[in-house]
Amino acid sequence: MRHRGNYLSFPLPVKDRTAILILALYMLFTLSVPKYDLAGVIAFAAFPVLLFTATRLPFVPVLKRLLVVSPFILFMAAGNLILDRGALFRVYGFPVTGGMVSGTVIVAKTMVTLSALLSFISSMPFHRFGTALRALGVPEIFVTQLQLVYRYSFLLTEEAAMMQKARDLRSFDGRGKGPIVTAKLIGSLLIRTTSKAERIYMAMAARGFREGLAPKPRIPLSLRELGTIACAFVLFVIVRIVF
Amino acid sequence: MHMSDALLSPVIGGTFWAASAAIIGLATRKISSEADGSKTVLMGVLGAFVFAAQMINFTIPGTGSSGHLGGGLLLAVLLGPWRAFITLASVLVIQALFFADGGLLALGCNIFNLAFFPAFVAWPFIYRPIAGDARSGARLAAGSITAATAGLLLGAMSVVMQTSLSGISDLPFRTFTLFMMPLHLCIGIVEGLVTWAVLSFVAKTEPTLLAGGKTLSKPGFILPAFVVATMTIGGVLSWFASSRPDGLEWSITRASGKEALVVPDDKIHSFLASVQKRAALLPDYGFRERKEAAPANTVPPSPVDPGTSISGIAGSLMVMLLAGSAGLLLRRRAPETPDA
Repeated sequence: MRHRGNYLSFPLPVKDRTAILILALYMLFTLSVPKYDLAGVIAFAAFPVLLFTATRLPFVPVLKRLLVVSPFILFMAAGNLILDRGALFRVYGFPVTGGMVSGTVIVAKTMVTLSALLSFISSMPFHRFGTALRALGVPEIFVTQLQLVYRYSFLLTEEAAMMQKARDLRSFDGRGKGPIVTAKLIGSLLIRTTSKAERIYMAMAARGFREGLAPKPRIPLSLRELGTIACAFVLFVIVRIVF
Repeated sequence: MHMSDALLSPVIGGTFWAASAAIIGLATRKISSEADGSKTVLMGVLGAFVFAAQMINFTIPGTGSSGHLGGGLLLAVLLGPWRAFITLASVLVIQALFFADGGLLALGCNIFNLAFFPAFVAWPFIYRPIAGDARSGARLAAGSITAATAGLLLGAMSVVMQTSLSGISDLPFRTFTLFMMPLHLCIGIVEGLVTWAVLSFVAKTEPTLLAGGKTLSKPGFILPAFVVATMTIGGVLSWFASSRPDGLEWSITRASGKEALVVPDDKIHSFLASVQKRAALLPDYGFRERKEAAPANTVPPSPVDPGTSISGIAGSLMVMLLAGSAGLLLRRRAPETPDA
């Protein structure tokens, strides 16, 4: 089935919960690659490349996000660069130290795992992600919580952006941007949020909401799903061993 | 302070995933027993509020930089520990999935570092005893700043331990700690100030909102005092423990002329010794890497020993956990005595 817009233009051949389990396995295998094994990390980059090419997701937004690597990661990679100065091998006489390799592996692992995660979540509508979590046995309250946070974060961030803009338009030379005034803004947003929550609950209760958004389906994993996960596992083991 | 996947080993990441999942399971059970749908919606909307509040930056006077509210302690005050934990966990999941803040394997660690400490340590043991019912401005300020700082410092320490135990970074434990602690102390103080300011505003305009966190009975000072004492003894005084042989070692030395008995060289002893060597995370109350031969002519080590501190604290925590579990088992088995 084809979807328009931001989601799939090529359907994944697996069910949603199977895809989540395969993604988790993939993360474990990628992160088990030893600290000096750059080839292993590059080999595992095949998975996000496959996702991008198969689902025709736009790569540029993900690339922009990946380029903004966490300063914490860069700090840790730089730490390895400085502390591990033993030469592993030489390239045209230039010594390549263990720190260079391990630092590159840290950054590469971050990019590979994040691109896999971003491409996966971009190809699955959030309501289906919630359904898949329920099918995996995640508690209903937590899934409901995730969906409510996802839904209302757009509304509230818009409201916060308007408050921020109003403050910026009324402030001169940095006045009104200190912590005390900001705390009052946040406090006022908090009070409006709780009033909004009451109205939302009354609207939902009028439509039959009690404690969760959907009853918990109890469907065990089928043989086909188990077989798919087993195939993915074997493939990851082969890549891990070979590279 | 979000951990990244690349800095974690699968074992450490998986362990904290299991711990966080267990706490989420326990929290949902606690919440389900209340069967209150309105609080579920409030949790969801407050989770969204955390995103929105983090967008509103403020300038930090004298530094030229800006900061934003974290929200962990604030949620614990408004919702209580169990609901605050679930809310914070959901916020972290959304941040990991949509903003690539942290990673999938690191999610367990991030939930533990950023949700567990504010909800189950900072709020009940620091904020509540100090701030009380939030009527006194001074007590509210002291409680907010102390609790926010403590929660952040504990989370930062946890990040250092998780990274060190994973063995991917070459940064020494001591250096990493010395880098992280002062930085998060400053961040914690700023977070505490902003949290106090928000709570003060709410206390004046909508004081009923602050009544939502009363899900635990007021904790006494005895248990926290014991916890602090245990941490101090295990984490600091252990550095100055005597290096002389204990009673058993003294007796063996007197009886056999050697410090330790020779281990028989059979298959069972060899196998068990190799298992112990692999399983011991803190062999001889120190870190493994310190057991490699130190270069000659080195400066005598200072009494400050991170490995011993961690061993002491870890040992204390395990003992407390076992004692608490044993107490729970005994409580369930003991028949209820009728009132006199």
